[in-house]
Amino acid sequence: MPAWVTLAKSPLSRFAMLLFALGLLRLVLLSVWEMHAALYRTHRREIPLTRLLIESLAWLFPMTRLYRARAGYSLASFTFHLGILIVTPFLGNHVDLFRDHFGLAWPALLKPVLDILTLLTLAAGAYLLLSRVYNRASRKLSNTPDYLLLALILCIFCSGFLSGQSWNPIPYDGLMLLHIISGMLLLAIIPFTKIAHCVLYPLVRLGTFVAWQFPPQAGKEVVQRLHGSEGRRI
Amino acid sequence: MMASLRQSDRSNTQGAQVKKAFIHLEPSGLPDHPADRVSAFLTAFEAILEYGNYRFLLDLYARITSRCGRCASACQVYQATGNEKDVPCYRTTLLLDIYRRHFSPGGLLGSLSAKNGKLTAAAIDEMVELFYRCTTCRRCTLECPLGVDHGLITHLGRYILSEAGIAPKGLIVSVREQLEGKTANTSAIPLPALLDNLEFLQDELLEMKGAAVTFPVDRAGAEYIFFPAVSDYLMEADTLMGNAVVLHAAGISWTIGSQYYDGINYGLFYNDWVLERVISRLVGEAQRLKAAKILVGECGHASRSAKHYVPAFSQNNALPVVSVLELTWQLIQAKRIQLDPTAVPERVTYHDPCNMARSGWIVEQPRRILGSFVKDFVEMTPNGARNYCCGGGGGLVSLDETHEFRMRVSGKTKAEQIRRTGADIVATPCANCKKQLRELVEYYQLPVQVVGVHDLVLRAIQI
Repeated sequence: MPAWVTLAKSPLSRFAMLLFALGLLRLVLLSVWEMHAALYRTHRREIPLTRLLIESLAWLFPMTRLYRARAGYSLASFTFHLGILIVTPFLGNHVDLFRDHFGLAWPALLKPVLDILTLLTLAAGAYLLLSRVYNRASRKLSNTPDYLLLALILCIFCSGFLSGQSWNPIPYDGLMLLHIISGMLLLAIIPFTKIAHCVLYPLVRLGTFVAWQFPPQAGKEVVQRLHGSEGRRI
Repeated sequence: MMASLRQSDRSNTQGAQVKKAFIHLEPSGLPDHPADRVSAFLTAFEAILEYGNYRFLLDLYARITSRCGRCASACQVYQATGNEKDVPCYRTTLLLDIYRRHFSPGGLLGSLSAKNGKLTAAAIDEMVELFYRCTTCRRCTLECPLGVDHGLITHLGRYILSEAGIAPKGLIVSVREQLEGKTANTSAIPLPALLDNLEFLQDELLEMKGAAVTFPVDRAGAEYIFFPAVSDYLMEADTLMGNAVVLHAAGISWTIGSQYYDGINYGLFYNDWVLERVISRLVGEAQRLKAAKILVGECGHASRSAKHYVPAFSQNNALPVVSVLELTWQLIQAKRIQLDPTAVPERVTYHDPCNMARSGWIVEQPRRILGSFVKDFVEMTPNGARNYCCGGGGGLVSLDETHEFRMRVSGKTKAEQIRRTGADIVATPCANCKKQLRELVEYYQLPVQVVGVHDLVLRAIQI
């Protein structure tokens, strides 16, 4: 049995998946708890949930927003996200792997469809990476993990795509080993990286709303902590 | 001019001048030694995290920010300078990195991904400059796919700096007079001078409209207690007369409080302690006179701070806060005031104050007010919740040392917007916006008059 098959079916692979799921669950629970505690300290109880939900949903289906600013980058980002969200869970091999580990399965998409989506994802990812390198503002903003994460995702998609092609010039087993290792690595680190936005996204606008509700007396308490009970002059 | 602007901004010459002007020494003395400044900042940050509601948000933002830079496309400061440091996300990342490095549970591990996490005196200088180059208009927030509010981060950054002893002199002096001075207002107008002024306005109105319109002071039990930007009493007579005439014509019971009459709340720009103290003065005066509601005049940040923070800081039964624009539109709809549709033949455009329009709160009302009697109304593009800042937001307009920056950088887009409308009049319901727009009009030599919405209402109202 090739090493990559052994690795894919190993407890290590399951561990990476569990780390991914439990790590993200921890972040959601932690964020909700912290937000609840913050809201409790304020006097505001009414939250415009519908408005916040609409604003969040509007960016999940950003049809009118794509061309409003940085059209190329926005389109690439949208395609990149779409590709990841469709190809990863609906690839036949991934469905099989998940069934082997956890006994759950769902229908897979046809390979030609996934191949096209993968190519689009790769093109979009490459565009995003190049934008970070060549756009002056983006380069200034970017840090090392921004580049590494993008490169890791591109590596996973590239190795996965090539391994499914008859014309693939690279040894199949080596390519799959790279695919499995990089995939496991990504799953394991996602909860500790900015990709955590995949589950925290719905909480951001709500959190921002809560944070604008300053707790009564907090400013005074800050002053007393810094300057004693006498406070300070303005 | 654009070329020289970019050059000067990239070399940070102007920024350095602005920065120097912003440094404010506390009476106790801001530590001169760089290490002490760092320590003062971190101590203030820690206290704010302990008592404020910012920690969970910084955690949330630190976990998700992707630094895509899309926010840059929305920022008029970045559009004017092309300076990467003016990208809103750059500013936010500065503070998030410091938070991660010094205060997040991940500590050192989290800081491995942070470029500039270690706080230094130079980092503080950079934050002073960048947080005060931002006009806190929050337009960038509309373009952040993840929903990060860079305006809130600017507010927090300024708050930490102020508790570490660094805040603009112009704001400090005004707030000190408002909360600790004899006159209890930011323009230092003594009560006798205010009363003289009100008498003068009443005489003016009698002459202008032939009606005995009064500015009631200390009328107990009125429906509304009125808080305009206090500077309006000195500089915006037509706006105030417009407000008074509307209330008079509709038979509204209202009053001005003699012990506190200033709607301005600079705390919204830089310090939560100040913000809450001003709100409590407002509410205290309303309670003293047993007013049923708080009516805020034509002032963007005063309207937003009262609307938002009177309920937020009130334990129970918060007094309702109404913008004078909301009230006037209600009165027009109810046909309680009549406006002459021939009174304003000029072409009029409307500038949305960010603090009113960004949340969608006051967008339609002023347009409907103006639409009810102005024949030739033209919109700026973009407008409403997506409007561009006048360039003087976040308190910058109150700081004379920022004049060149406001003209050449932060207000440049707005000047161009106004020019494109071809309007004769720009109406805007905000004292700060009006001051900034008048300076822009003069600087760019635009053939436009800048007025308040109620200045035009005053011209058109029939009593």
